Parts: sequence; C-alpha cells; structure tokens
Amino acid sequence: MAKTKEISRRIKSVTSTKKITKAMEMVAAAKMRKAIEAVLKTRRYASLSWETVLRLAVLEKSKNDEAHPLLAPRREVKTAAVILITSNRGMCGGYNTAVINKAEQSLKRYSDVKTDFILAGKKGASVHQHGHLVTAEFEKNDILNDVNDIYPIVKMALNDYLSGKYDKIFVAYTDFVNPAKQIARVKQLLPVKTEKIDSYLGAASPTDKTESEVSPGIEPGAPLIEYTFEPSPREVLDMMIPRLLEIQLYQAFLEANASEHSARMTAMHQATEAANDMVSELTLFYNKARQAGITAEIAEISAGANALAE
Amino acid sequence: MSPKTIKFEIVTPERVVLSQEILQITVPTTSGEITVLPDHIPLVSVLKPGVIEVKRADNSSEIISVSGGFIEVTKDKVVILADTAERAEELDEEMIKEAQQRAEKLKEEARNVDDVQFTAVAAKLEKEMARLRAVSRWRRLKGTDNK
Repeated sequence: MAKTKEISRRIKSVTSTKKITKAMEMVAAAKMRKAIEAVLKTRRYASLSWETVLRLAVLEKSKNDEAHPLLAPRREVKTAAVILITSNRGMCGGYNTAVINKAEQSLKRYSDVKTDFILAGKKGASVHQHGHLVTAEFEKNDILNDVNDIYPIVKMALNDYLSGKYDKIFVAYTDFVNPAKQIARVKQLLPVKTEKIDSYLGAASPTDKTESEVSPGIEPGAPLIEYTFEPSPREVLDMMIPRLLEIQLYQAFLEANASEHSARMTAMHQATEAANDMVSELTLFYNKARQAGITAEIAEISAGANALAE
Repeated sequence: MSPKTIKFEIVTPERVVLSQEILQITVPTTSGEITVLPDHIPLVSVLKPGVIEVKRADNSSEIISVSGGFIEVTKDKVVILADTAERAEELDEEMIKEAQQRAEKLKEEARNVDDVQFTAVAAKLEKEMARLRAVSRWRRLKGTDNK
C-alpha cells in the first residue's frame, strides 16, 4: 500500500509541473508571435540602412585622416566592449549558454585586448565568473516598443567609443532563423567593418539561407561611389551614422527577443512532453502496484478461508 | 523609346512603404526641396518632415508624407530610410486634423515642462502637418485627374 501512495504523490507533482510548463509554453508562443512580427517588419529597413553605412564607410576609409570618427578604423586596439543580449529568465534551453559561449569563443582571437561587457538581460551576469568586467547592466523588456527603449545603450556605446574608452564595440546576440532554429552571433558594431565576412544583422531569413548567401558586404574591388552630401558630409554623417547604428542594435534586440521566445517555447514544449511521458509511465507503475496489492490481499483472504474450512 | 526609370524604395522601421520603378521623385531635404531624375549624381541627404511626390512611368503620381529620415541616391537606385511614412491614399483627413489638434494642445502644455518633451511634441506636430499637406496635395491631384 505504501508504494501506491508514493507513486500517486509523484503523479500529482508531475502533473502540476506539467501545468506550469504548458502555461509557460503558451505565454512564450504568444510573445514569440509578437516578437517575430516585429523582427520581420524591421529587417528590410535594417539591411538597407546597413548597406548604406557600409558604402559610406568604404568611402570614408579612402579619405584616411579626415574620415568621420565613427567610421574611421583605429590603428591600435587595446580595449573592446561586448554588448551581450541575453534573456531575463531561464527556462529557455541552451539559449543563454549558446550566446555567452559564442561571445567567449570569438574573444579568444583578441586575447591581448582587454574586454569589458555591457549586459542587456539578467542572465548575462554569469560572464562575471569567466573573469570579465561588467561595466553596465541594462534592463531588457520582453517585447520592445520602439527604438527609444534601447537609446541609453546606444548612447553609452557611442560615448565610450568616441571618448576612446573602447576601440571596438561588438554585439553578441542570437539571430532568429525560424522558430526551431536560432544562431548565436557576434557582430562588430564599431568601427564599421567593411570586409565581406561581416554581414548585416537579421541576415538569416526565415528561409534559412547558408552563410555565404547572406553576406553581401562590399566587394573589395567595388568602385567607390563619390557621394555628394547635402548640406555637408560632416553634418549628414553626424546625423545619419548614430541613427543607423541605433537601428542595427535595435534589430539585434528584436532578433534576440524572437529567438528567446522561440527557444523558450521549444524548451517548454519538450518539458511538457517529458512530463506527459512520465505521467503515463508512473500511471502504469501505479496500476501494477495496485493490482499486485489486490492479488496479495485476495491470496491472503483465500488462504485464511482455506485454513478455516479445514 | 520608353522613358528612363529608376528603382525607388522607401522603408520605415515598421514596413516597406513603396518599392517600384519611377520616373522622378521630389523630396523635402533640410537644405530645400530637390527632384531626383534617373542618372542623378550619387547623393546622401537628410530629410525634413514634408511631402514626397513620386511620378511613375504611366504618368500617375503618388504622394507620401514623411516625418524625417535620409535619402540615398546611387547610380541605379533611390533609397529613402524614413522615420515614418504614409501614402496619402492611406490617410484620413479628419483623423489627421484631430491628431494635429491634440498635438497642438500638448505643445502648449509642454512649453512649460521640459525641453525633451517639447521637442518630441513639436516633432509630432510637424509630422501631422506633413500628413495633412500630403492629403490636400493628393486631393488636388485626384481632382485634376477627374476633370
């Protein structure tokens, strides 16, 4: 009897866990729909603006000394910052681990560079344990309203870059491919990198293209376009580059959010399935134990009856 | 020979507003209104709130209100990265007038609050004004078409 009681207690606890994971799956699914809608809407804008930035960057680089400070490459790279976008809560499978590992991995190439982290999302705090300095931690909303939500981060990144505190700024985020597939990526935000390997954000489309197809960049031999700037190059670039970088970072956040909710939905779906399996297995055990109990009881009774009859 | 056209695309963070082949486009930049025809020299400029007028190959026009952004002209393409943009035919004059009045009122109230808020409201008002201008220009255009 004690055994059946134990099993039925376990069945109860697994069932209530299942209810929670099921609810979380539903919530994640709803948030995911919103996040995917948002990420798809801005992709075109983000990719067009990134192309513009790339063309301008190529042009500015050819000018060497008079290049715009945000576009000019720095000769010496001593410090770098990584904007790490993670989730606020766990329960989303390997989502956070993947993006943190990816960031760590790509930093190995810059072992002589001192790297600080700027966090968005609470789960990024574990980079502390890897011995990195965290200079700022920003709050991240599960669903972004508009570009203004990330304005403080952009402003901090631009100021720190312009003041020379950092010579390179990266963003580590998770690119959304489709609800079942997300790729952790690290992208260099500043200075703007024009080599072909560096594709724009949100490049991974729902059709799941391969890496080579999504990296337009600028061909090394492409002809320089000599733009006319109105009113003046400096004025136009001063207005344009920060705005376009803001959009890039915004896009990274949207990609990350869509990925996070997808990852959470998948994880919770799996948890629910696992709970289902467990419940049916436990029910089987329970029935077996109950049956065994009944059989034993009957055996006892009939044995008793036999003893009396003799 | 058919007249020469140029590829045109206007996008906002929310959507692609319009993407097609056009004959010419007139846009409000901070240094004045400019018209871009095919084979224009490469140009990058800043837009101010106002009305964009597009002429298509079949001589029909399109009016778009824009609240600011950037224009990039390359050899074979015109790209406008707008903050917000709406096609005039999607706009409703009554709603704009209401929005404008609201913005005007807010502006009065915000005058004695703080700079950031005031700028935000002023920008909103300019956006509504641009939308209204777009609608009235669209009306005029339609009116002449019907005659």
